[in-house]
Amino acid sequence: MRVLLPGIRPWRHDLTHCLHTTFGVLVGFYGLDPLHVLGAGWGFGYRLDDVRREEYYFPCLDGSLLAGLAPHHGLDSHWHEPEDAAHGWEQVRACVAAGQPVAVAADNFHLPFRPAFSDVHTNHLLAVYGFDDEEGTVYVADPVPPRFDGPITVDALTNARDSNNPITHERDMFFTANPIANRWLTVELTGPQPTFDRDFVRRVLLSNLDGFARGKVEGPTMRGVAGLREFLTACLPRIADEPQRIDEVFIVAGVTLAITGLHADFLADSGRRLGLPALVELGREVDRVAHHWTALRIGVANSRSAPIDDLPALLRRGRNLVADQERVLDRMAQTAAQL
Amino acid sequence: MDSRPVELEAYLNNVGICESRWPTTGAFNIWSNTFPAEELPPRGSRVDVGGVTFRFPAAGPGGEDNLRCRGQSVEVPSGAYDWIYLLAAAERRTEDALALRYSDSTQRRQWLRVSDFWPETAARFGELEAFRCARMLYPRHSQPNMAPVIWRCRVPVAIPGSIEAIRFPDNPAIHVFALTLVREAVDA
Repeated sequence: MRVLLPGIRPWRHDLTHCLHTTFGVLVGFYGLDPLHVLGAGWGFGYRLDDVRREEYYFPCLDGSLLAGLAPHHGLDSHWHEPEDAAHGWEQVRACVAAGQPVAVAADNFHLPFRPAFSDVHTNHLLAVYGFDDEEGTVYVADPVPPRFDGPITVDALTNARDSNNPITHERDMFFTANPIANRWLTVELTGPQPTFDRDFVRRVLLSNLDGFARGKVEGPTMRGVAGLREFLTACLPRIADEPQRIDEVFIVAGVTLAITGLHADFLADSGRRLGLPALVELGREVDRVAHHWTALRIGVANSRSAPIDDLPALLRRGRNLVADQERVLDRMAQTAAQL
Repeated sequence: MDSRPVELEAYLNNVGICESRWPTTGAFNIWSNTFPAEELPPRGSRVDVGGVTFRFPAAGPGGEDNLRCRGQSVEVPSGAYDWIYLLAAAERRTEDALALRYSDSTQRRQWLRVSDFWPETAARFGELEAFRCARMLYPRHSQPNMAPVIWRCRVPVAIPGSIEAIRFPDNPAIHVFALTLVREAVDA
């Protein structure tokens, strides 16, 4: 049997990683615009110690992975945890045969098209959209550079999915020591998708603003601007005494950078499509916040050898980030009021 | 147009360019990726990029070839310039302020915006693509389908005056390989 699902298009945004690229491919299959689906939501929410050692980590405080990524669309996702590699392939194959592309977790060490092949272990995510039983191949889409879209052997994918993802040398960082366990994920459309118009954008802005304003710190859970401030002023200093916090801040900063950058471009694209320059300008302001996250993420990643020395600069960056965030939210409220 | 390249050797603090010999010892980013030296101008050479002359960095004592921005203040030949041109690349795109120190001790900030060096990533800020390598170096191999970029960025000197120093931001995502001050032929 050979199945090759149509409508698979690579999609990538430059501030994102495999989490967003994979979901971009999957929602694109259903005719949805990845930038608008993944970029409409903007918020902050994190529960201390929640971080997982996977490239596609996202803090799911209120529901599934895709529901968290795309809160303004009727979308959901479900992880599947097969008991072994054979069942893992059987289930993915059946789902694709039934016409649904899926996401699979995989260790790049075993994927021949990844630069990390036979070198670095990591917990990666990519889309599967076809297979050829006679050839023993599976079709995968991975828009993360070097972009790959095509067949690999089922054996290679199975090895990648069944990997223990071990730490074997100093470059096995951040996303290792977390067995892949053949996990795979399906996407579901839970209702009609919103019509893109001025009112949709206004509702998106108001909802995001509400989340930032109402969010608070409750025990280990940090939400909204208050949570963001707590994360950057109370959690960040802990890297000096708790080295594992470096990984935590790096990973959370990475996903926050991605959603902030996506939201900036969602606003800019919406402004152009609707003929509203104020939205384009607002997008540029959000981009500035994203660029703080770039600096913070790389700063903390490089602080491992002397975190105490680097901490003052990181805290300064955090304060500036929060200040710019608050300025942007103020402007966002003004913009929403004019829509 | 008068280009005045600035020597950065005293400020270099990162190894981002390596010969293709394994294992490589540089680390432009935390994954220890580097640009292949064979595809870039010789160290210490002068190179024209879009009409601007740069001095490609000679290696520092540890092989350093770029300035990772950590708030360094770089003394420059005192003069009235119109543009600051840089060869730079970032670990994910970012923006931050350069502080220009004028001869009267006034400090004025100008935005420096640098796009990502990562392959398959377009210029975000309209920079000129100065060098695109055909491959990227990993510590133990060369990856032929990963093409990293060094960008030519420019920063305006919006307020005329004599500049004596440039302070880079404390933003370790930004790497600067070369710096040239430019005065346009026609006086404002």
